[in-house]
Amino acid sequence: MNDKILNFAVRYGFLILLVGLIVYFSLAAPGFFGPLSAAFVLQSVAVTGILALGVTCTLVVDGFDLSIGAVATSALMLSAYSMVILEHPTIVAVLLCLGMGALVGLLNGLLIVKFRVPDLLATLGMMFLLIGVQRIPTQGNSIATGMTLSDGTVAEGTFSAAFLWLGRHRFDVFIERLLPMPVVIFVVIAVVIWLFLGFTRHGRLMYAIGSNARAASLVGTPVNRYKIAAYMISGVTASIGGILLAARLGRGDIASGNNLLLDSVAAALIGFAVLGAARPNAFGTAIGALFVGILLQGMTMMNAPYYTQDFVKGAVLVAALVFTFYLSSRRSGAGH
Amino acid sequence: MLRRYFITLTGAAGLALGAGAAIAQEAPAPFDAPQDVTIALVRYLSTGDFFQAYLSGVETQAEALGVNLRVLDSRQDAALQADMVDQAIALGVDGIIIQHGLTESMRDAAQRAVDAGIEVVAFDVNVENDAIPQIEQSDYLLGKLALEQAIADNGESFAAGYVYVPGIAPLDRRHVAWEEVKTAHPGITEAARIGTLDNPIANANANQARAALQANPTISVFFAPYNEFAKGVKIAADEVGMSADMSIYSADISTADIALMREPGSAWKATVATNPAVVGEVSVRALALMLAGQDPGASVIVPPTLITQAFLNDQDIRNMEDLGEKMPQFQHADVAMADWIALPSR
Repeated sequence: MNDKILNFAVRYGFLILLVGLIVYFSLAAPGFFGPLSAAFVLQSVAVTGILALGVTCTLVVDGFDLSIGAVATSALMLSAYSMVILEHPTIVAVLLCLGMGALVGLLNGLLIVKFRVPDLLATLGMMFLLIGVQRIPTQGNSIATGMTLSDGTVAEGTFSAAFLWLGRHRFDVFIERLLPMPVVIFVVIAVVIWLFLGFTRHGRLMYAIGSNARAASLVGTPVNRYKIAAYMISGVTASIGGILLAARLGRGDIASGNNLLLDSVAAALIGFAVLGAARPNAFGTAIGALFVGILLQGMTMMNAPYYTQDFVKGAVLVAALVFTFYLSSRRSGAGH
Repeated sequence: MLRRYFITLTGAAGLALGAGAAIAQEAPAPFDAPQDVTIALVRYLSTGDFFQAYLSGVETQAEALGVNLRVLDSRQDAALQADMVDQAIALGVDGIIIQHGLTESMRDAAQRAVDAGIEVVAFDVNVENDAIPQIEQSDYLLGKLALEQAIADNGESFAAGYVYVPGIAPLDRRHVAWEEVKTAHPGITEAARIGTLDNPIANANANQARAALQANPTISVFFAPYNEFAKGVKIAADEVGMSADMSIYSADISTADIALMREPGSAWKATVATNPAVVGEVSVRALALMLAGQDPGASVIVPPTLITQAFLNDQDIRNMEDLGEKMPQFQHADVAMADWIALPSR
């Protein structure tokens, strides 16, 4: 009987907590419950959620990517630089950013598998490198239309309407202008990565590499290629996050992206606990991001100051890790 | 970046030919030979548009004076900043500008510099030393002017949203103005308070502001006394569709902010700002006065300027340069002046 309760708690505990949270905020905060509010929660987690899905892929192969926040802000600066200063059209700016993300992922992967640099250190180095490199073209200034360049001319380019559409357009669902574009992209990426990791041969091989790289390699898996691919996926998703951020802000803001990194890693780790998976998984990551987003939206509506939000984020993360590592091990222990 | 190295490395050679020569005849010692004068800028904060502009002001005024400038940047490391003051002392500089920092870590270091016979001025950090003048952009006035404009536009009774993060010195000083206005006008109520410095700051505050606006649709004025905050609130107002029904008042300005304020239907009605480049220039001039044995006063205040959306639109202002041309008081502050100090060429 006890085993059953424990099993149930590990499997559904987090989802029940999530529902409880929604019920509580709906009663306590006027205006929390409703389609508009839901769309806004989703929008506020879309960017970190997309980054978190990328991290999930690296976690699956037993790696880690600390550079995603910096990749996102680099994409933000690169898209602004491309459109405002070089006056490229939208498609060029987007492709440049995606290419940059893929390249950074490739470099991360090569550093790790070819040069044998431990994953945390390689991506940490890449993070600092990117934070610096994104500021060199503008000498540390943010990019906006009308800014004076170092040669005295004025930047005439603008963020094109098509680019801003990516971050600001809202589709009519149920009510007019409800569903923001970044949310659609977030959901699409979540579904694609969920299908890829859970239901394709490639995804399963990546999980195999994560649990025992040597065994996977002995049965003929090209371990290095899959690892590099994981980092490239992570780089590309991070650059998509950066593009959406740029489209929402409408300018190239100087930012380190460290908060993006921390929030998305938290979402991915909380995801371990969802459905008692005890391993990285795309569905859990998406729910983890949503969980944090709902908490923050509800607390802000109830006028909670910013430091309580950090506190709550930390508490949720710790609770999720206890779910994952303690309760899940008890459960598997009891099964023997 | 390049220019900074240019000044440090080739200062003596290059500048003897330039502005330095023109003022040399009448300038008091040591500015009769400015190429032999070295000043150091010891920075605590450096990332972002404000600090970049401040640096450019320091650079151009140092260039106009013909002195050598060394920039020591501690990148928010309080202990390192104190060490850098000692480094500057060891280098034998004539004057030091301390830009931001923590009172606790800088007080002793600043005293050591004074003891070594070096003239010191401090910008936006209180080092508790009578020998060191404070350069300030009046943050209190910044908040007060913005709120006066809010009251002029919206009357003495409205529900307001407010963005504030306690513990940040300039925000704390702007906060004083907000508390005063609330006490003086009982009709003004604070319906919601938000604020975070998670970066990107505008994005993080947009998420919070949107929740606050949704929970309090009666808000008609948002006081966001920092331009990144205001940008976040504006994004939120657009997303919630409340831009037409509310007004945002803020402090600070940049080229990007001008574009946002001028967007059709923008809720961002006014901002109050001090030109950070001008503050940089004033810092150098105050130090120069001290080096020449003159007294700039215990506190040198750079007055802020009110900039409204209507003014930007009427004058068709597109960037900070336009703003400086159309609003001369923004381009130059008439403080810490002397006949022998050459102003940067515009």
